[in-house]
Amino acid sequence: MAAVAVGRVGKRPEGLVDLLAEVGESALEAIGRKPIDLLVVGTMAAGPLAAVESVVPASAERLGLDPALGWRVEAASASGAAAFQAAAFELLAGRAERALVLAGEKMTGHTTAEVTRILARSLHPSEQAAGATMPALASLVAQRYLDRYGADPASFDAVTVQFRQSARGNPNAQFPTPVSREEVVRSRMVAAPLHLLHCAAISDGAAAVVLERGDGPAAVLGLGQGFDAFALVDRTELASFRATRLAAQRAYEMARITRKEVDFAELHDAFAPFALIDLEDVGICGGGEAGRWFLDGSTAPEGKFPVNPSGGILGRGHPVGASGLLAIAEVARQLRGEAGPLALPDRPAVGLAHSIGGLASHNFVTLLGALAGREP
Amino acid sequence: MTVAPSFRVLRCASCHVHFLPRPGLCPKCGSRSVRPELISPAGRVLAATELHGPPAEGAAPHRIALVELSGGVRVLAVAPGRLPALGETVEVAAVGDHVELRSEPETSG
Repeated sequence: MAAVAVGRVGKRPEGLVDLLAEVGESALEAIGRKPIDLLVVGTMAAGPLAAVESVVPASAERLGLDPALGWRVEAASASGAAAFQAAAFELLAGRAERALVLAGEKMTGHTTAEVTRILARSLHPSEQAAGATMPALASLVAQRYLDRYGADPASFDAVTVQFRQSARGNPNAQFPTPVSREEVVRSRMVAAPLHLLHCAAISDGAAAVVLERGDGPAAVLGLGQGFDAFALVDRTELASFRATRLAAQRAYEMARITRKEVDFAELHDAFAPFALIDLEDVGICGGGEAGRWFLDGSTAPEGKFPVNPSGGILGRGHPVGASGLLAIAEVARQLRGEAGPLALPDRPAVGLAHSIGGLASHNFVTLLGALAGREP
Repeated sequence: MTVAPSFRVLRCASCHVHFLPRPGLCPKCGSRSVRPELISPAGRVLAATELHGPPAEGAAPHRIALVELSGGVRVLAVAPGRLPALGETVEVAAVGDHVELRSEPETSG
């Protein structure tokens, strides 16, 4: 990875293409405007949310690019991760030398009801017919998690408290103010057991990375994707996401490393309990154990396995199509020593970025680190 | 008390799994050989939630329940009356394009 740029997340006056162009400009500037032959743009719902389509030629024009290849990639809330993986595969296939990956979403300017309805389109039709929304289904998953493991609901609060604490040092975060456990519990109920502060916000934002063939501290080690049944009711397992487990397994296999070699992760925490499920699904701890890791500080920046030092989705904000690439960009910045105030106490060598598409119907795991010095 | 089969599902002729009516193939084995069958509408609540916010407009919250029927078929049902308890036995019925929990039977005089 040659350059990383992250835009400010929050309520932004600009349109989607402006947000993409801003981060794209920073990334191109960082590589001295070397030529780009592949442009990949990830966005979930550009039309319904931002009233814009054809984001690839629109971004190319704004950035003065004339790429040989260009794709728009959609994978619901994992669109940014999918865009990154698509670009990486093109480079690995030898079809391009240098790729610019952009991902963004423009979500504000609509009522919460409208945004909720648009996001719910990534759910199974039978779930939409039942009036289910993302928070509704997430609350059912959270209940199954609590029931299956006898987990402590306070662990959900600990997730929010930790991520909001970390976001304090993130100049791009939408929520740079810490919250106490009491504030989490006192925030209004969205869908039991999920309170407002357990849930992702509505955000505008974008990220950009430049990918080149070659090595570096944030080279692509492993790329994994996994699917699960589209409808929640058709899944074998409800307290864990098969799509993450498969994505992680495939990424570890490609990287030829085990979970023990991973130093930290940016996990998809659109709802606080997902961070627990994610940590278990990527194999860092066993089923039902993640709550203790969050409660005892093991996942804090100074803990044994830091999770979301950027503040994650709960602290940073959730421009849905951008979040997957934001996670990858934040992992890369740590590995490249560019994380500034967010830098972990010990500079990590291998990081994991995880992204959930829809209600975990199609998830992604990306492993980054240096290629040099690894066993062939 | 046994409940008469009244809930329509599909059954795969190859792998015999029951699943909810939908276009396409058997979700387990991919067979095209599926036929409708009525099963008991009684099931157990695995999870249920009351949604404060969209799509509920106005005062009444929208409630949905995840119900496991006999044979392992799971349905997502709208709960129009009240929020059922986890583990509670309920009955479901198809209503238009979705499934609802049936209101409790009237107590007969």
